[in-house]
Amino acid sequence: MNEKHIVKSFDRDLEAIQAMVMKMGGMVETAILDAAQALETRDEDLAEKVRQGDKAIDAMEERVHEEAARLLALRAPAASDLRTVLSVMRIAASLERVGDYAKNMAKRAHVLGQMSAIAGAGGSLRRMSKAVVEMLGHALDAYIHRDVALAEDVRNRDREVDQMYNALFREFLTHMMEDPRNITACMHLHFIAKNIERMGDHATGIAEQVIYLVTGEMPDEARPKAESVTTVGVGGH
Amino acid sequence: MNDMTRVDPRTEVADVKISARKAQVYYGDNHAIRDVDVDINARMVTAFIGPSGCGKSTFLRSLNRMNDTIPGCRVEGTILLDGENIYDRRVDPVQLRAKVGMVFQKPNPFPKSIYDNVAYGPRIHGLTRTKAELDEVVETSLRRAALWAEVKDRLHAPGTGLSGGQQQRLCIARAVATSPEVLLMDEPCSALDPIATAQVEELIDELRAQFSVVIVTHSMQQAARVSQRTAFFHLGNLVEFGATDQIFTNPGDPRTESYITGRIG
Repeated sequence: MNEKHIVKSFDRDLEAIQAMVMKMGGMVETAILDAAQALETRDEDLAEKVRQGDKAIDAMEERVHEEAARLLALRAPAASDLRTVLSVMRIAASLERVGDYAKNMAKRAHVLGQMSAIAGAGGSLRRMSKAVVEMLGHALDAYIHRDVALAEDVRNRDREVDQMYNALFREFLTHMMEDPRNITACMHLHFIAKNIERMGDHATGIAEQVIYLVTGEMPDEARPKAESVTTVGVGGH
Repeated sequence: MNDMTRVDPRTEVADVKISARKAQVYYGDNHAIRDVDVDINARMVTAFIGPSGCGKSTFLRSLNRMNDTIPGCRVEGTILLDGENIYDRRVDPVQLRAKVGMVFQKPNPFPKSIYDNVAYGPRIHGLTRTKAELDEVVETSLRRAALWAEVKDRLHAPGTGLSGGQQQRLCIARAVATSPEVLLMDEPCSALDPIATAQVEELIDELRAQFSVVIVTHSMQQAARVSQRTAFFHLGNLVEFGATDQIFTNPGDPRTESYITGRIG
C-alpha cells in the first residue's frame, strides 16, 4: 500500500493527532517515574509537581478527542485510517487513566511522608513503576512503528507486573500482621501497588490497540495471567 | 460420511440472483474485464467501486447486455440470471432488460409526459390490459420511487420539466414499472444535490425489499451507506468482494485499502 494520501492535509492531520498521543505518553511516563521517586525519597515538592502536572495530561486527552472528532467528521476515514483514529482515542483514554493513577500515587506519597517508612516498600514500588513505564514505552513504540511483535511482547510482560503485585501484596500483609501500627501505611502502599498493576493493564490495552490497528482484529486468546491474589494467602506458609 | 461434501452454510443461506463466472469483456483488442467471478444476491444492494476506467460500469452493463450495441464489444465466460445464461442465443435482450432494469448517471426521461414515461415499459411489454391497470402500475411505480406525492396532480406535464432529483426518481419509477427482478444503477446520484441523493439512497434501501440492486458509484461513502456487499474493481480485475462493513473497516487486499483510504492505488 502506498503510504501517502492524495490529499496531503489528511496525512498532516493523522500525523498531528498521533504526535499528540506520543507527547501525552511522554508526559505520563514522566509522571509515573516522578511519583515513584517522590514516594521513595519522600520528596514533597516532586509529589506536588506530579499532582499539578495531571491537569496538562487531562487537557491533552481533551485535545486528542476534539481532533479525532474533527477528523471523523471532515475526513470520513476508512479502513486503517479509521482504525488509527479509533485507536488514538482509546490510547489517549488509557493514558489519561494512567496519569490519574500517577497523580493518586503522588497524593499517597504525600500522606506516607507524614508516617514512619515501611522498609523496602519505596524501592519495590519504584522497581514496579519502572517495569510499567518500560511496558508503556514499548507499547507506544510498537504503536508508532506498527510493530505487532513488540506489542505481543508487551502483552506477555504484563504477567511480570502481576507477579510483582502479588509479591508486594504478601509483603504488605506480613507487615500488617506483624504490627498493626503499619496498617495505615500498608493500606496506602497496597493501593499504590494495585494502581501500578492497573497501569500495566492499560499498557497491555495499548498494545492490544496496536494489534487491532495493524491486523484489524483484537487479539482474542487470553494472555497468560499470574495467579490471582484471591488465592494468595500468608497463613499457610 | 465425507465431510468435504457438506455445503458451506454461509453460501447456502444467500439467494443468488446473478452469478458470473470467468466473465471477460473485450472492446476489440482491449481486454476490459478479466476473469470476474461474482454472485449478486437477491434482495441485497451490491456496490461496485473502483477508479475511473477500472471496468465497473462495463461489467455492470454486461449484466443486462447493454454492451451488445457497442461495436467490437465481446463478452465471454458465463453470466447466469436465475441459473440461465443471459448470453444464450435464445435469450431476447429486450425481455432480459425488462427483468434487469437500468438507471443511468444522468436522468434521461423521454420527452413525454410523466405518465407516459412510466407507462412506456408496461405498454411495449404488454403487461397491462386495461387503462385502469396501467394507471395502477403508473401510480405504484411512482410511489415506489417516492415521487407520487410530488407529481400526482401533474401527471401529464412533461417529465423533462421536473428538477434533476425528480427526473432521476422518474427514471427509477420507469425502471421499476416493468417489475424487474434486478435493478442496475450506474452512478445514479452523480448529477444530484445532497438532498436528492439522500432521497434516492433511501429509495434504494426500500427497493431492496423486492429487487436485487447493483449500484456503480464513485462515492465510497455512498457505497458504504447503501450496500450490503461491495466489489472493488481495479484495472479490469475484481480485486476484492465481500461484506461492505468488512471492506470499509478491514479490507483484505492492500489495493482496496489504498483506494478506499484515498491513497494512490
